[in-house]
Amino acid sequence: MASESVLEISGLSKTYGAGKMQTLALNRLDLSVHRGEIFGYLGPNGAGKTTTIRLLLDLIRPSSGSARIFGLDTRADSVEIHRRIGFLPGELSLWEGRTGDQIIHYVASVRGDTRGIAKQAGELAEQLDLDTSKRVRDLSSGNKRKLGLVIAMMHSPALLILDEPTGGLDPLVQQTFHEMMDDYRAKGRTVFLSSHVLSEVQAICDRVGILRDGELKAVESVEKITNVEFHWVDVTFRDTLPAGLQQQLESLPSITNISTNGARVRMRMAGDFDPLLRAISSGYVETLHVEEPSLEEIFLAFYSGDEETTI
Amino acid sequence: MIGAVFLETLKTTWKQMVYWGIGLSAMGLLVVIMVPLFNMQDMQKLLESFPPVILAMIGVGKDLEVFATNEGFVAIGFFGKSALIFAVYPVVMGMRITANEEDNGTMDVLLSLPVERARVVIEKFLAYGVSCVGVVILIYLGLHIGVILGGVELDALRLAEVTFYLIPLMVFIMAATMLIAVLARRRMVALGIVTAFVIASYMLQTIGLAAEGTVAEPIGAVSFLTYYNTGDILAQGFIWPHIAGFVILSGVLLLASLYRYERRDIGV
Repeated sequence: MASESVLEISGLSKTYGAGKMQTLALNRLDLSVHRGEIFGYLGPNGAGKTTTIRLLLDLIRPSSGSARIFGLDTRADSVEIHRRIGFLPGELSLWEGRTGDQIIHYVASVRGDTRGIAKQAGELAEQLDLDTSKRVRDLSSGNKRKLGLVIAMMHSPALLILDEPTGGLDPLVQQTFHEMMDDYRAKGRTVFLSSHVLSEVQAICDRVGILRDGELKAVESVEKITNVEFHWVDVTFRDTLPAGLQQQLESLPSITNISTNGARVRMRMAGDFDPLLRAISSGYVETLHVEEPSLEEIFLAFYSGDEETTI
Repeated sequence: MIGAVFLETLKTTWKQMVYWGIGLSAMGLLVVIMVPLFNMQDMQKLLESFPPVILAMIGVGKDLEVFATNEGFVAIGFFGKSALIFAVYPVVMGMRITANEEDNGTMDVLLSLPVERARVVIEKFLAYGVSCVGVVILIYLGLHIGVILGGVELDALRLAEVTFYLIPLMVFIMAATMLIAVLARRRMVALGIVTAFVIASYMLQTIGLAAEGTVAEPIGAVSFLTYYNTGDILAQGFIWPHIAGFVILSGVLLLASLYRYERRDIGV
């Protein structure tokens, strides 16, 4: 991967309101995204992801700091930047009374190339299985999202900025989206996407930045974050817990946070499943439920020093 | 591409323009058709019997003889009585320039495209301005059809002047609405302020007309509606200083809107 920066953010801050009502939404953010990478911008709701994206798009103005995209200032050169980027908002609103085709034509005409862009839009719509002849108000939320993706990608932008791109998409379309992102990366284009879905980030991103309370806590490769991955495991036995199971689980280094409730045991498990499966095989397992940890839990595990024990 | 926002705005507005135009022209047509039913001498006596405040509320000052004509009847029955209705369309259009799109989130999509904020505002302003012209043309056509159907004798030039005088008035109201929306940010807040502004202007105009010849008369000068005085237009035709005033003020309001919109956050 080339190390040329497509996106450079330095000391970017944003406060809303004034006086006692003032809220710090983003605090001195420094970040670089390289050409050809898919960068995942992660954080819980309200962490400042959307604020960052809106600052990059010059929809809102920074309280301090600056950002450059393709070496251009996001404030002074916003029109030139917008020519070369595609954007999908997290809460997508489109013109309800217009059809997908009409909106595509409108956006293409603002971009100044109706013919070329419309052809590309048609191909994308087909890939996403989207009927663009319907009015927006008649589309499901998933199909609106697809239309948003078509609009964001139809001019083959060098940088895609996507805010929670797969929200509302069914698993099959999510898979198609992941393939599209792989294709983007293969063509040397860059994607900056915000998400709070860890599995999505793991599937498509090269690096991730973790944002919390308006501050960037870390920028890491996906591999490194994945290495601290753990799961919450919930096992329910048919009658009661097998005798000695709790002690057996406590003796396993990969199992922590064990709690029991009748015939049910819940635990945090890192690493391979095999030791756990052997331990619970002494009883009749009725259900076994594995939960992906939340991003916050991964983050806490990573930065509380747990990585030494979980890798 | 230059003009893309303008064209799209026209495409999404023409139906409302036609509906409003047909509705308002039907009102005008009805008034014109009723002209032969009234004796204008009786009309003058009737007007003279009204207290000044009632006359003021329908936009009539002391120049009663001007209104005791066929053109005057139309001026009172349609243009004077409907002053507030004429204000609704430009308010609705003014809200659409920025406030509606910001409130529903489509402005985020639009401004993520290679287009300057100022261009969006100017192209939308021009498109909605054109739609105001369209509404006024339809109103005139309605009045003209009324003249033909009712066999009414009306001075076509005076009728056209009173009608087309609405254009600068409507554009001014739209520009004022746009600035208020840009400053207030929230659609409902802006709508409340604009409504208060228009009603206050109507009240001030009424007070000014009702108080003609008294020390309270200058109060009316504060109201923009005072400069759309159908009696004066019927008597003198286009009053160019007033038209120029509306045009200049609209330009100032547009520039102020552009200045503020360029500097503030969108949709916050």
